[in-house]
Amino acid sequence: MMNSTDAKLWSGAFLSVAMLLSGAANSSCDFDTDDADGPDFLDKIIQCEKQQGSRDKSAKTSRANNSAQITKLYGDGSLTASGIIERPVAAAGTLNHHANQSFVARQPYSLRPDAKFEESVTIAIQKLHLEMAHYCARGWDMQRQWTEPNGQQQGDFFLHYQFRCAGT
Amino acid sequence: MNKLALSAAVAAAVGLASNSFADGPIDGTIYGKINVSVVNTDENSSDKWKLNSNASRLGVKGKTKITDGLYAVYKAEFEICVDDGDCKGQTFTQRNIMGGIRGSFGTVWAGKHDSPTKLAQKKIDLFNDLEGDIKNTFEGENRVSNIIAYTSPTVSGFSGTVAMIPGEGADVDGDGIDDTGLSDGVSYSLSYNKDNLYLAVAGDQDVDSQDLVRMVMQYKMDNLKLGAMYQQNEDNQGTKDESGFFVSAAYKMDKTTLKAQYGFIEDDVDGDEEETLSLGADYKLSKNTKAYIFYTDNTDSEVDSADDEASSFGVGMEHKF
Repeated sequence: MMNSTDAKLWSGAFLSVAMLLSGAANSSCDFDTDDADGPDFLDKIIQCEKQQGSRDKSAKTSRANNSAQITKLYGDGSLTASGIIERPVAAAGTLNHHANQSFVARQPYSLRPDAKFEESVTIAIQKLHLEMAHYCARGWDMQRQWTEPNGQQQGDFFLHYQFRCAGT
Repeated sequence: MNKLALSAAVAAAVGLASNSFADGPIDGTIYGKINVSVVNTDENSSDKWKLNSNASRLGVKGKTKITDGLYAVYKAEFEICVDDGDCKGQTFTQRNIMGGIRGSFGTVWAGKHDSPTKLAQKKIDLFNDLEGDIKNTFEGENRVSNIIAYTSPTVSGFSGTVAMIPGEGADVDGDGIDDTGLSDGVSYSLSYNKDNLYLAVAGDQDVDSQDLVRMVMQYKMDNLKLGAMYQQNEDNQGTKDESGFFVSAAYKMDKTTLKAQYGFIEDDVDGDEEETLSLGADYKLSKNTKAYIFYTDNTDSEVDSADDEASSFGVGMEHKF
């Protein structure tokens, strides 16, 4: 007999898994619960998942389109001392707003012991915020942030911000 | 690591896996239903009120592509007891759980699952999981452990399933010898399903101590759906030799579906009879939600003793997700 603690544990685990899978459920085909007990339940699984596959393709296309709509703010600017092409940080007084448009900006920083203050992550964040304010003067929401190593020198990184300008 | 942390870690790991494969070939879908009813049952002049969970359930099913045209298919379904949370002392009890390989050759699958005979009934039982469920009157409604089955592809509406059930040391045929073979029990079905007509013949050999044959028909005409079943079964002790029939009808009028069904089975060995009658109506509240009301009368008549009669009426709701 399962004791109360075990029952709660398994219930929690099961519901956690269920919630994690519920994303798939929301996008599932029109599958009636009683079909699972029908004589053709195998056909229903196959048919539904085929539709699921189609939706996956649509979702991928949608994601690809979204990706295409994200404007990269680096890679087409001037050559830096590290050899990386960077777009210059916007100058004050040149604020714009591109409602609902997404951008990706990046700034280099260093964690080397001998790095200068100007190369610190604090300054990188400061520059990124200046850049976001330049393109989204009426505000933005942060969609994603990530870091990639700078292959030029160990201890150097690029901090990326993906953001979307507010809709107003 | 304590149990809570372990639970969270498992959930997180599954989540990561799920996210990692979100664009890949693994398609898992969670589904289920909540079916609760408030029922008054009058059994031999003693009545009581109950809240019933009616086989509410939670399941996961899906397929994973192995190569072009070849898939792993799976389904794991558990009963949840909405009324008191106690499913025979467990939080969840196992319902149909299977895994298999599906290709152009058909599907080979195994697990614990409704037998082909039970599946062949195809929901002509309009009061399934309620007091009027035909399992309360007819044999053959079995969920079988250790089932190994093959389901053919559907060709011109025809499809068949044959299943073997190893005895695993149990005496499944009642001959006093433990059964250890691969096909100690056998269940099969052959069906035809095209347009509005469904026909099936199915049978069991040494499943739940019964040898059984049933024929099923379902026909849809506009808003009317008719079902019928004829069955013969005998147990392997020679103490039961039953034959009986079952009919059902459902008529849909906009959001309301009127339902009726009747079944009768007689035992030729001792003359005992069982009878079931159910009347009811469903009202569709939304695509996945309905409210319903029903009345059921089940009677067991034994020779030389008073009838054992149970009548129930209830209201309930079912929500599928």
